Amino acid sequence: MYVSKTGLAVIAAAYVAVPLLLGSNNYVMSLIVAAMIIGGIALAWALLGNLGGMVSFGHSAFFGVGAYVSALLTMKAGMPIFAAMLLGGVGAVVASLVMLPVLRLKGPYFALAILAYAHIFKIIATEWSSVTGGSAGLASVPRFPELMGFDLSGKTGSYLIILTVLLAFVAAYRAIRASHYGIALRAMHDSEDATRVVGVNSTLLKALMLFVSAFMTGVVGAFNVHYINFLEPDYAFSGLWVTLPIVAAIFGGYRTILGPLVGAVTVYLVDQLIFKSLIPSGHQLVLGALLVAMIIFSPGGLMPLLRKDSRRKHAAA
Amino acid sequence: MSELILQALYSGVLQGGSYALIALGLALVFGTMKVINLAHGELVLLAAYMAYMVESKLGLSPLFAIPLALVLVCTCAVLVYFLVSLIRKDRELNSLILTYGIGIILTNAVLLIWSADVRSTSSAWFQDAVVVGPFYSMRSELLFFVVASVLMAGLWWWLSRSWYGRAVRAVSSNRDAAKLMGINPRTTEIVSFVVAGILASFAGVAIFSYGVIQPAFGHALTVKAFIITVLAGIGSIPGVMVGGLLLGIAEALTVTLASSALQELVGMALFLLVLFLMPNGLFGAKARRG
Amino acid sequence: MDWNCIIRSKLKLAALALSLTAGVASAEELLVGAEIPLTGSLARVGSGMNEGISVAVEVFNKTNGKHTIKVITADDESAPAKAIAAVEKLAGQGVVAITGGYGSNNIGPASDAANKLGLPYITSGGVDDSLTERGIKTFFRINNTAGYRKAMVGLLADMKVKSASVIYSTKEATADLAKDVQKELTATGMTVGMHAFDPAITDFKPIINKIRLQDKSEVILMAGYENDYVGILRAAKVLKPDVKAMIGVWSLATPKMVADFPDLMPSVYGTALLPFPAEFKSADGKLFADAYKKLYNKEPDYLGQFGYVQSMILFEAIARAADKGTLKKGGVAEELAKTDRETLIGRVRFNDKGDNINFVHRMGQHQNGKIAIVWPSDAATGKMNFPGVPW
Repeated sequence: MYVSKTGLAVIAAAYVAVPLLLGSNNYVMSLIVAAMIIGGIALAWALLGNLGGMVSFGHSAFFGVGAYVSALLTMKAGMPIFAAMLLGGVGAVVASLVMLPVLRLKGPYFALAILAYAHIFKIIATEWSSVTGGSAGLASVPRFPELMGFDLSGKTGSYLIILTVLLAFVAAYRAIRASHYGIALRAMHDSEDATRVVGVNSTLLKALMLFVSAFMTGVVGAFNVHYINFLEPDYAFSGLWVTLPIVAAIFGGYRTILGPLVGAVTVYLVDQLIFKSLIPSGHQLVLGALLVAMIIFSPGGLMPLLRKDSRRKHAAA
Repeated sequence: MSELILQALYSGVLQGGSYALIALGLALVFGTMKVINLAHGELVLLAAYMAYMVESKLGLSPLFAIPLALVLVCTCAVLVYFLVSLIRKDRELNSLILTYGIGIILTNAVLLIWSADVRSTSSAWFQDAVVVGPFYSMRSELLFFVVASVLMAGLWWWLSRSWYGRAVRAVSSNRDAAKLMGINPRTTEIVSFVVAGILASFAGVAIFSYGVIQPAFGHALTVKAFIITVLAGIGSIPGVMVGGLLLGIAEALTVTLASSALQELVGMALFLLVLFLMPNGLFGAKARRG
Repeated sequence: MDWNCIIRSKLKLAALALSLTAGVASAEELLVGAEIPLTGSLARVGSGMNEGISVAVEVFNKTNGKHTIKVITADDESAPAKAIAAVEKLAGQGVVAITGGYGSNNIGPASDAANKLGLPYITSGGVDDSLTERGIKTFFRINNTAGYRKAMVGLLADMKVKSASVIYSTKEATADLAKDVQKELTATGMTVGMHAFDPAITDFKPIINKIRLQDKSEVILMAGYENDYVGILRAAKVLKPDVKAMIGVWSLATPKMVADFPDLMPSVYGTALLPFPAEFKSADGKLFADAYKKLYNKEPDYLGQFGYVQSMILFEAIARAADKGTLKKGGVAEELAKTDRETLIGRVRFNDKGDNINFVHRMGQHQNGKIAIVWPSDAATGKMNFPGVPW
């Protein structure tokens, strides 16, 4: 796969420079890790929107299922964390299977049906207390292990794990988009009828994208539970895992691959470091306003907007 | 046991009345514009907080808040409309995200202005028990059930008799044909948003009078309203009324026959079941025609 | 605010240093972190606790004379990841311990983070037993589910009732408490009906009706939050089940409920530390009440009292550690473990898990627009109005 020189430089900086420069500052590292968790969901959400043409308000369902599966597998079956995290993603895919009937429906039906799923999963997690610990949740979920003397459960270790996970997602996303499935999917986005004529089964393709998106979100949920070491239904299926990723993806540009990640880091850090101090008790208001402004002025996100801007400047010069 | 079930049915019907009132606004806008206004619940909440203001600051009955709520909520509804109409492409999906954003703005504005405290009416008159045979309710519940019924009946009449009402129905069934017949879709769209605002105003004051309000409450109302819209099928006003009652009754019966912990589950399950088995809704087949 | 806060604290420190070099040279300003939800779902209870913390600073600095405490506050937005970030931010600013926290799901990760950074963590905001079962040596809390259970069960014993129905929210703290109470009551041979409800529920009439027609219990116990109580009591006022008492837990026997819902409250019971209007008999209590009035110009509530007690205990431990010179060597946690002191919430002593073994809540009853403490008898300020219901 082709990776540009700037891309390599950014990856190298992310792996080496960030831990070296900021690794000792726990607070900043926490913010970055939290932003990357949001970024991971935002990426998965945007993939579903970009390739599948679907808007979801219920990604917290996948996030929560991934977290519960991974936490329970490590706690009750003693499974190694990284294997459990992958199975957390698989669990989210299984959870998404029940959503298949809704795929035939267009527009708002899918978006809100998936929200209903998130609610249902939350109630199940609360009521099925013999397995999930009920509303009290699961405490002391295993943390990341030591690897060759390096403690992965620390801030820098956790950062490196989520960074690797995100890079893998980006690579997978690129591969899918470049494959003929991706091309068909993007064509479908423009005209579903056209693809049907060409002989692409659009519902099957949409389903595949839903699985990929669910898997990614589930893995991120699993990462989060081993990072936070605590899980309860309210938290696992919180609206938190819906709002911020949507804002991040829309802000960064949901038709691009890196947009959601850049958006997540920008939005999260700006929100935490600036908005929070300006409006202590209602800073989410700014996020809502941002969402509204983006949809009206630049539904393609900030990245395309910047590109357009620079092109205009070039033209002027 | 029968006494229990009768009361559950009664409670469900009363609750369903205001569910239907909220859902009707959502369904109407969806009908004319193919837009689900995810900030609809927040509009209802705004009206409820107007009632709180009128009661706590002016010392008047929450009923006096209705004119104030009408002005504010309808203005907001029209604002939502203008924002939505600014969307240039892919309106069906982008409007979801847009109105979701508006919902976030309104929720946090309410939080900033009125704080996170739980609010409800302190008027004893509203909460007094009204007993009709084996049926128990608060006076406010009965009062607003009557108000909701009258409003919905009026709306039905208006939609089927008046020129505007017919225009709204025409646009919702076939936009292009309606245009050819000289109906300006923009006007009917605004009208549908305003009507949704009117219904939301009454619903909000009702909720404050018999229930408890909190800033985060709006989202749950939107979800309930959407569930009912799906149950009903798009474009069917009587369907929405029946859908509201159905949800109210299903919830109350779940509490009575099973566990109150599962109350929220039943609405969601009903919603998905209808989506899977009859995506046009229980009453949507008729509306789909044409 | 964060940077402002730091700059302001730096300026204050500088000013203090200047004034001190001129005067007494031994005093030093000790930094303590407060990690509390000021926004999000727990904003209301968080701000209540925050008021108590501020009052504790005021009282401590006025009475101690030798040490000065300065609190830096960080909002955790009622979210675990942000609670961790808040603790780490505070640690970066050089605090010696953390006070605060609300909700076990925030307290758990936050106190874990504090433990890793070697900072003691004291709270009154999470009653889940899993918090103390972790065996963290730097974690302390002054209240627990057991204390609430003892109060509810004790009150029922005084009432000599044989049956009860419990209506409880499926949220963590309320569900835990309800199940604990059920276990204890059935062990004493009582009949207990359990009714869990989803936090989103608004119409409680079907539940109350089940109790009225099926359970036919003598009392109704409620484990919920303000909105739930209002809904339950309204439903009960409509259906008028034949019970002798309506008993709740936190957030019910409070001045706020008296003011907001006067017609729903008569004869209703809830946990309360102090009667309302508050009468403070101890010197500590008077100091607290005066400082609270001065800072907030309103009646102190239970959140403020808990926040005050947890912070006072912490500040005193810090002062002792500073005297011994063990501040940076884990001295604060050692001193906290040795705590044995009479407080506004009774005597506080920690076991080796950091739990306050003496914690027993008191039960108050709404009586004529006031709140009287009716259980336990040695703390009672009024006679129980039993049987009695709001209708």
